[in-house]
Amino acid sequence: MNGIPPLFRQPLAIALLLIAVLLVLGEQLSPGFASMQQILRLLIVAALLGIVAAGQNLVILGGREGIDLSVGGIISLSAIIAGNLMNGADAGIPLAIAGCIVAGAFFGLLNGLGVTLLRIPPLVMTLGMLGVLQGLLVVIRNGIPSGRAAPVLSQFVTQPVLFGLPGIIWLWIAVGLLMAFLLRRTVFGQRIYAIGSNEHAAIMAGVPAARIRILLFVLSGVFAAIAGICLLGYSGSSFANVGEQYMLPSIIAVVFGGTSLAGGKGGYTGTMAGAVMLVVLQSILTTINIEESGRQMIFGATLLVLMLFYGRGRAMRT
Amino acid sequence: MSKLVLRDVSKTYGATVALSHGDLTLEAGEVHVLIGSNGSGKSTLCKIVAGSVRPDSGRVEIDGKPVAISGPQAARTLGIGIFYQELSLAARRTVEENICLSDLPMKAGLFIDRATLSDRAARYIALFDGVTGEGFAADAPVDTLRADQRQLVEIMKTLASEAPILIFDEPTSALDRAQVDRFFEILRGLKNDSRTIVFISHRMDEIFAIGDRVTIIRDGRTISSMAIADTQPPALIRLMVGEKEELASASAPAPAPDAGKTALAVSGLSGPGFANVGFDLKHGEILGFGGLHGQGQSAALRALFGANPYVSGTVSLAGHPVRIATPAEAIRQGFAYVSGDRRRDGVITGRSILENVTPIHFLRRRLALVRPGALRKAAEPAISAMKTRFAGFSHPIDSLSGGNQQKVVIARWLIDRPDILLLDDPTKGIDLSAKADLFALIRELAAHGMAIILYSSEDAELLANADRILVFNGGRPVRELTGEDRTRYNLYQAAYEAAFGAA
Repeated sequence: MNGIPPLFRQPLAIALLLIAVLLVLGEQLSPGFASMQQILRLLIVAALLGIVAAGQNLVILGGREGIDLSVGGIISLSAIIAGNLMNGADAGIPLAIAGCIVAGAFFGLLNGLGVTLLRIPPLVMTLGMLGVLQGLLVVIRNGIPSGRAAPVLSQFVTQPVLFGLPGIIWLWIAVGLLMAFLLRRTVFGQRIYAIGSNEHAAIMAGVPAARIRILLFVLSGVFAAIAGICLLGYSGSSFANVGEQYMLPSIIAVVFGGTSLAGGKGGYTGTMAGAVMLVVLQSILTTINIEESGRQMIFGATLLVLMLFYGRGRAMRT
Repeated sequence: MSKLVLRDVSKTYGATVALSHGDLTLEAGEVHVLIGSNGSGKSTLCKIVAGSVRPDSGRVEIDGKPVAISGPQAARTLGIGIFYQELSLAARRTVEENICLSDLPMKAGLFIDRATLSDRAARYIALFDGVTGEGFAADAPVDTLRADQRQLVEIMKTLASEAPILIFDEPTSALDRAQVDRFFEILRGLKNDSRTIVFISHRMDEIFAIGDRVTIIRDGRTISSMAIADTQPPALIRLMVGEKEELASASAPAPAPDAGKTALAVSGLSGPGFANVGFDLKHGEILGFGGLHGQGQSAALRALFGANPYVSGTVSLAGHPVRIATPAEAIRQGFAYVSGDRRRDGVITGRSILENVTPIHFLRRRLALVRPGALRKAAEPAISAMKTRFAGFSHPIDSLSGGNQQKVVIARWLIDRPDILLLDDPTKGIDLSAKADLFALIRELAAHGMAIILYSSEDAELLANADRILVFNGGRPVRELTGEDRTRYNLYQAAYEAAFGAA
């Protein structure tokens, strides 16, 4: 790890430091940027991203080039399913949640089966799945209206529910605790690290690597589906490819948080900080009037720069 | 003038001397046999001639002129053609393409000249007319062929190099009798054309059938070269193992409580790399797998553990037949497996020592939650039984020395003790004191009734620790050595013996 500058050895500390710097910078550029209300708004967006990144994080930790490019498609699909099943009525919420989770799990399962049984590289498998989902979304849109969020859902996502924090932030905290528990205190979590570090040795030690890897993709689909429901609550109604903008940031958040793209190393705490950092950065870029295209370029470049620093550890490992 | 002369070549890997004084003189028009025990330096010497290993010192001469064989490409230009034991064929290409692979005929410097290629390949295919077997054709893709047919293609490819010096490293391991006979006829023809052939085989009968001269290598030195006609198999084996007679363990181990009961019965086990492996293993017994490197010992152990498939045969545990398809199933049935290749099969790199000790415990106890306190308590006795030196359970395993890493890997099997322990060359690359600790532990485990199979590429280890030794050659057990018969001499006599029932 000698090739990595000392600063970059503590991803969590860097992310927190960057968040603080960006907030101060934002306040200078546009007074009110770091106000409590504004920060809460940023945290809501960060929570949406963070929930997607939880699934992404699991898939990446599992190694063997694990990555899930289909999350954007699953988010969009989930938002449409939720919008139609609840269609503005609170009574439809349970069914909507169930439907979305089943759909997310189903496409995650297909990803997992493709990657393990058919040995398709995750990049190709999930990119193909993204294409399938995008086509499916077009078909759905031609047949049915996009639907509307139920009032309770919108309230949950945007309005304070407890101690002044919106429900989605509590949900994100719960996801954070769940992930920490899963990764540190369950055998399943230890096995994720084991297959991510040395899959062959893990199999020789009795770890059912294929089953675990399938489950990781299923969980990624489920997390994306949950994010899709929340996104519907955030925007009121779903629109075309609403989820697409989350795919690249979900990967950047994971890598920024110190999880190795080679797998087997990292955790979710850093990813949470990474998600907040990205949302604050995006907000600053908007404040200084950088177009969507410019923001995309900056995000892409961020990932490549991160790889430049973190990627070395991997090259040295193999 | 000799065709090729190696004078006093040496090669050292780190602290290991692979070859200290290697001499080899090859004449034109002879079949020259190389023999040596495991780790003798035979394969290093061969690799030096092939250009895949560069010697640290010494001289190499071809036709009396000093040369440097700087790489495989240079070896080819110098007129050396090599048959690779690990097949070097392009699986998706056809037989004829593979035969001409190293020198594809071109048209206009850009396109493959199909007609010339077919003509040229046909000459070498014709040499084996009648013995190639069903499904063999010039345009058949190599991955559709059987193992013996692929080996024939490898031979044809080597012959197609038309090099004055040809090196064959175990070219006959997969061939049947008729194919071997034909191959030997071809070699005799080449010999009459004044070509030089180096032949490595693990079959004494083949060595005496085709060899003109033999060079014996032991402990990194060339011991002797002589005409085959002037010697006999026992004398060769004597030269190969040396005068010092390493005896089997003097003291028989104390009988275990349930000693005598069969723990594992295997019969007719066959799969990729091994065939017709059968034995009974009793509780408290250490069964050795011996023979030269790579004769199917590892492959059979991995198949028993569910890591490699087996095609036929039966495995029964304490009298009950089982079919094991994955390591997880094997572990639940009471198997343990320790590999010498710990970086591939053992160590979970980058994770803590605790995480490296616990996976078997998780599986056998069907645990779902990690309780570090309880796990440390459970792992403590296992890891101290191995006398592992480490600073703390939370340290990364990579911070330990190789020997200590291997001890941690072994300790993972000792929390919930298995019934059957499979040791696949477990001491490869670890220090002497770790080896001593490991064998002390193995003896103790056997004394408590564990049934153990030990494959070791170090003969001394095997002779000192195994109660019985099954000697493998060409994927098959060829002889069993028990009691007073467990000597280095017998080990090598058996290692060079033709397999039971081999055609």
